[in-house]
Amino acid sequence: MDKRTNEAWLADLRAGGDRQAQALEDLRAIILRGLPYAIAGRLDPNSPESEALTEEVVQETLMRVLEYLDSFEGRSQFTTWAHKIAVRAALTELRRVRWREVPLPEMEMNEETDTSYREIADDQANPEEQLAQTEMMTRVNRIIMEELTDKQRQALKAIMEGFPLEEVARRLGTNRNALYKMLHDARLRLKKRLEREGLTPTEVLSVFERART
Amino acid sequence: MKIKRFIQRIFGAKKQKPASSGLAANPSEKMQKMMAMLSGTREVELTCDQVFALLDQFTELAAQGEDVAQLMPLVQHHLDMCDDCREEYKVLASILHGAT
Repeated sequence: MDKRTNEAWLADLRAGGDRQAQALEDLRAIILRGLPYAIAGRLDPNSPESEALTEEVVQETLMRVLEYLDSFEGRSQFTTWAHKIAVRAALTELRRVRWREVPLPEMEMNEETDTSYREIADDQANPEEQLAQTEMMTRVNRIIMEELTDKQRQALKAIMEGFPLEEVARRLGTNRNALYKMLHDARLRLKKRLEREGLTPTEVLSVFERART
Repeated sequence: MKIKRFIQRIFGAKKQKPASSGLAANPSEKMQKMMAMLSGTREVELTCDQVFALLDQFTELAAQGEDVAQLMPLVQHHLDMCDDCREEYKVLASILHGAT
């Protein structure tokens, strides 16, 4: 029974008793149809882990839907809103599983030893280009060391390594929203510092692009 | 790879060497990724929570063929900047697409 209006969903889910139970059962079926799209390519859909995750996510989603029902503003179909909650829950768990064995990148805490952004230049570049790249990496690294806090640098480095924001936030004892704000502040600081030094991101990149042209 | 496309969108469609995995493979790639992020950085950006609140509406509009980058530019920008939110958007979009 997918064809409820938004108002009918809200009324049924608030009704209690059999009416609410039926609405929850219908919503559960809808969420179950969407979850394979979240799992596809991330977990074997026939594995016991997938089955367990699906059940966990469905339960969590139904609880959250009831908890946040009053926050639904009707800007979309109710089922899209519910799918959104399910997708967030599923991907959060999938990211945790995918990255649980991977430690956050180590941070060296001083400018001389942190080679994060100034290791070896592109080996396809000629010696002159390699020198320019190394100098630029050293310069950018110095700016990073001077402008960012240890926590900002650690988070930025993890993101550069491909870690999901969600997982970095969990490891650093914060949440994704706060981490995004922190990284936004870090990006702004770096961008403004580059500007003060007469550099744009495009110009920095051009040093690394030349060897590929 | 998403970040490659983002870089190409910002800096032109120059051919990029495909990365072999989700991890940035070398310092040059890290530098490219960082500069793409800095280039896209704006003074005011929506946070993940703000985008999450709008994501169902945004995804439905996109599924209806609306120009969401024009209608909801701050959401679009956040999706360009945030891998996690973009991944969630794509899954939600695929669900809506599959449901039609």
